[in-house]
Amino acid sequence: MRRYRVFCRVFCRVFCLALCLATLAPGATAAGIPAPYAALVIQPAGMPARYEFDLSAALARARRENKRLYVYLGASDCPYCRKYEAFLDQNAQELVPQFRPQYIVVDLRSALSVSANQLYIRIGDRSLAYADFQRSIGDERARMLVYPSVWLLDAYARPLMQMPAGTGTFQTVPEQLEILRLEQ
Amino acid sequence: MRRMHFIGRLLGLAAGGLGVAAPQADSAVGGLPGPASHADSSPEWESLRDRLFPSRPVSATPGVVQIVAPLRAAYGASVPIKILSNLPQTPGLYVKRLTLVVDKNPSPVAAVLDLTLEVGQADFETRIRVDEYSHVRVIAELSNGQLHMDSRYVKTSGGCSAPPNRDALNLLGKTLLKLPEPVTMNRPTTADVTVLHPNDTGFELNQVTVMYIPAHFVRSIKVSFADRKVFDADLDFSISENPTLRFNFVPHGRGELKAEVEDSKDGHWTGTLAVL
Repeated sequence: MRRYRVFCRVFCRVFCLALCLATLAPGATAAGIPAPYAALVIQPAGMPARYEFDLSAALARARRENKRLYVYLGASDCPYCRKYEAFLDQNAQELVPQFRPQYIVVDLRSALSVSANQLYIRIGDRSLAYADFQRSIGDERARMLVYPSVWLLDAYARPLMQMPAGTGTFQTVPEQLEILRLEQ
Repeated sequence: MRRMHFIGRLLGLAAGGLGVAAPQADSAVGGLPGPASHADSSPEWESLRDRLFPSRPVSATPGVVQIVAPLRAAYGASVPIKILSNLPQTPGLYVKRLTLVVDKNPSPVAAVLDLTLEVGQADFETRIRVDEYSHVRVIAELSNGQLHMDSRYVKTSGGCSAPPNRDALNLLGKTLLKLPEPVTMNRPTTADVTVLHPNDTGFELNQVTVMYIPAHFVRSIKVSFADRKVFDADLDFSISENPTLRFNFVPHGRGELKAEVEDSKDGHWTGTLAVL
């Protein structure tokens, strides 16, 4: 009986460890930029009327650290977001050293149900709906909100280059590197 | 023993869960075409070249004509394209024709621009649809018969099946001309012509009827100034909705800038602008 209790204790530890590993494993279904990228996660505020993402702190940090922002907008229920996140996860060893010296990765956590007129971006005391924000920075993607989306911004929220809708065109390591190098 | 078996199954499930949760892909997500350089050819272009310019050499030496296009566009349905000519339009030698090709589009010849000296400088801007990763190329035919080409590889897709904006179909065909910069007499002056038109490709699925919306697009735009031809453009649905061309013309005095438009269903419209 005592041996059985010991076995159960060991089993529980092993089982819990296995579950934890499963959660953290590459390709796990948890939403968001994978941990190795040390992303600054921003949750929306002002719900349910609006889903407002405040970039102020991220921009302030970018100015302090003399870095750029790699702003990722993902949705918790978006399969294409999971694909891109899995790609980042599977190639973290190669990609993280390329991201880290130049970029602060910012992870905006949204959902597919959040439409363009509900999604707001705040910078300082200015909060703009998605399309207005896009127009304000001269981004051509004002017409349609697509999940996932990526913006490359300097520390003053100026776009570094026009990004495509979605992430499908940079889901290989060489193409992701093209993006980081701002190849147009 | 039964307990041991149960524990074993639980551990097996946990281990199985871990295995399922951690697939290691051999290749990157997407399965998209491999790398290509801007100057590469393609089977589509090789075939098209033989039909468009049979037995004629096409020089790819940089210098005469240049195409500017983004490596990745915001949307495949609206890829900004700029054609720059390094040759002034002089009677001795000028750009006679520009052909814009999207290798992998269902209809690859997007535009053929038949130019005159009245263009002054053979530079054009427009927006095109790109249906899949493809080279976009411009071929300039000079008045001496030489052909010069430049190309760019564009990574985008879905341009030909994306729905255009149909909010203002009552304005279909309305042709607008404007001058973004002040007029300079006897010098190339920039102008824009825009035709309000969905430029339907025939590859867009109607989500209600599950039928393809038939092709209906602007076929040609003929631009003149003071009754003198500036250029004729033969167009295709590879040009984005609300087809727009930015071009140059040389005003020698007051006159009317005119654009005559025809679409694939024999619609005809005219837009004019008085140039003072």
